[in-house]
Amino acid sequence: MADAVAPKAQPSWKVALLLLQPLASFVATMAGALFFVSALLFFSPGNAADVVAQDEQLRQALVEEWGLDGSVFQQYGAYLTRALGGDFGVSLTYRPGTSVAELMAAKAPDTLFLVLTALFLSVTVGTLVAFWSAGRPNSLSRTAIQWLSVPPVFLVAYLGMVGLDAWAYGSTVEKGLTPPPWFPLLMETSPVKTALAVTVLAFASSALTEIHGTAEREIRRIRNSGYVDAARARGAPTWPHTLSNLLPALTTLVSNRAAFFLGGAIVVEKVFGIHGLGDVLWEACRKRDFPLVLGITLLSAGFVCGIRLLADWVRLALDPRQRGGT
Amino acid sequence: MKRTQALSTAFLIALLAAWVVSLIGHYDVVLDVDPNRTNAGPSSQLWLGADDSGRDVFQRLMKSTEAFVGPGLLACFVAALLAVPLGAWAGWTGGWLGESIRFLFTSVAALPRFVLVLLVCSIYGTGGVTLGVAAGLAYAPALSEAIYDRVSRFRRAGFVMAAQAHGLTTKRILGWHIRWVNARALIGGHLLQLFGYFLLVETTLSFLGDFGVQEPMPSWGNMISRDALQGGVNDLNLWATAAPVVAIWLTVWACAKLAQSLDEVDDV
Repeated sequence: MADAVAPKAQPSWKVALLLLQPLASFVATMAGALFFVSALLFFSPGNAADVVAQDEQLRQALVEEWGLDGSVFQQYGAYLTRALGGDFGVSLTYRPGTSVAELMAAKAPDTLFLVLTALFLSVTVGTLVAFWSAGRPNSLSRTAIQWLSVPPVFLVAYLGMVGLDAWAYGSTVEKGLTPPPWFPLLMETSPVKTALAVTVLAFASSALTEIHGTAEREIRRIRNSGYVDAARARGAPTWPHTLSNLLPALTTLVSNRAAFFLGGAIVVEKVFGIHGLGDVLWEACRKRDFPLVLGITLLSAGFVCGIRLLADWVRLALDPRQRGGT
Repeated sequence: MKRTQALSTAFLIALLAAWVVSLIGHYDVVLDVDPNRTNAGPSSQLWLGADDSGRDVFQRLMKSTEAFVGPGLLACFVAALLAVPLGAWAGWTGGWLGESIRFLFTSVAALPRFVLVLLVCSIYGTGGVTLGVAAGLAYAPALSEAIYDRVSRFRRAGFVMAAQAHGLTTKRILGWHIRWVNARALIGGHLLQLFGYFLLVETTLSFLGDFGVQEPMPSWGNMISRDALQGGVNDLNLWATAAPVVAIWLTVWACAKLAQSLDEVDDV
C-alpha cells in the first residue's frame, strides 16, 4: 500500500540473522529427528545383522563391521558423519547391495511430483471454495466438502478405481468394443491414473476440509478488518486485499500439511500400484531393510523440514512485521 | 449443530457398545464359514448378508471393532500421558527448559505420522498395542503444542495471579484451573481427532495387508475386497463391500463432527 508508512530499513546483518534463524532450526530439527529414529532402531529387538546373516559367525562379523555393538550415541555419530557425505549405506533385502542414495534418487521425483501437485490442487480448490463459502452460514459447498473429504485416502482411491473400471468395462468390453488405454487402472500406467491419484491425495482424509476451513476462518477475519472496509468504501474490489493478507496464513497451512500429504502418498502409491518412494518404503519396512527405511525416513523428514524452512522465509518476505519493521 | 452433535455422540456410544458386545460375545471367525450361503443377500438371519466365504457380514462388522476401539483408546491414553503434562510444563516454565521440551516434540513431528507408524511396525512388529503406542506417539506433538499454547497464554492471566496470591499450589492451578477448566474441550477435541486418525491408520494398514489385521480376523479395512482392483468389478459383493465402507465413513465423520463442536465450545 502506497499510503502506508514505509518500514525502516534493517541493517543487512540483522536481515541475515533473520534468514539464518529458520536455517538453524532446520538443522537442529533434522539432527533431533535422526536421533529419535536412531534410538527407535537401537532399542529394536533385532538389528540389521540379524536380518541378513544366517549363521552366528557372519552375524558377529557384520555387527563389528557396521559398528552395531556401539552405544546409541556412537551409532548416531557414525551414521551422521556418513550421511553428511551422501553415504546412506546399502540396501540389505529390497535390492541387496544397491546404494540407498541411488535407490532414493531414482524414485523420489515421482513421489515429489505427486505430493507437490496434490498440495497445490488442495490449496487452490480449498481457497477458491472458501472465498465463495465464507460468510454463508449454510453453504452447500462447505457441507459437500465436509462429507466427501471425510473418508481415508485408501477408501476414496479404492472407490474411484472400482468406479472408473466398472464404467469402462460396462461401456466398452461388455459391448464388444476395445477398452480405453488406461483400463484396467491398476495394471496400466497412464495420465488418467496419475490424475486420479493426485485428486484422491488432494481431497481425501479430510485434507480439503482442513485447508478449506482454515482459509475460510482467515478470510472471515480479513473481511472484518479496517483496510477491507476502507477499500469497500472507496469502491475498490476487496479480493486483492483479502488474497494478499491470506498468503502468510496459506504458507503456514502448506508447511503444516506437507507431512500429511507425504504420508498419504505412500497409501496412494500402494493402492494405485505407482512405484515411487512410498512404495519402496513400504516394501523396505516389510522386508526389514533398515538402512533403506532409515534413508527414506530421513529424506521425508528433510522434505517436511525443508518446506517449513521455505515457509518461514516466504513469510519473512511477505510480512514486513516479521522483519521487525514499524 | 446441536442435532449433528447429538447424532455423532449417539453413533460413537453405539460403537463402544458394539465393542463391548463383541468382547463378551462368542463369535467365532472360523466356524462362521458356510459354503451354503456364499454371497447371500440380507435376510432376517443375516442382517447384512454374507461374504464370499458365507460369513455373516454384520457379525464381522461388530467383531472388527476389536481391531481399533481398544488400540485407539490406548493411542489416546499414550498421547495424553506424553503430551498433556509435558506441554503444560513447557508452557508454565517457559525459558530454555520449555523450549527444549518443545524441540523434542518438533523433532518427532518432523517425521510424517504415517511414516513413523510404518517405521515402528517394521521395527517392533505389528499388533494392536504396538500400533496404538505408535499412533499415540505420532500424534503427541500436535497435542503438546496446543497445550503449550494454551498454558503459556494463561500463565499471566488474572485468575492465575489471583490463585497464586491466594496461595494455591502450582499443581492445583495447572491441574484444575488451567488444564481442566480451560483446556478440557481442547484436549477432548484432539483426542477425538486422534481416535478418528487411528481408525484411518488401522483400516489403511489392514486394507493394504502386510502390517494390519490378517484374515481370518476381520477389520473394516480387510473386509473391503481388494479383488475388485484386479479387474473383477462385476463379481463384487455389493453388501459385503458397502457395509464396511459406510461404517468407516460414518465413524470418521462422527469423530470429526464431535471434535469440531468441542472446538466451538472451546472458544477462549
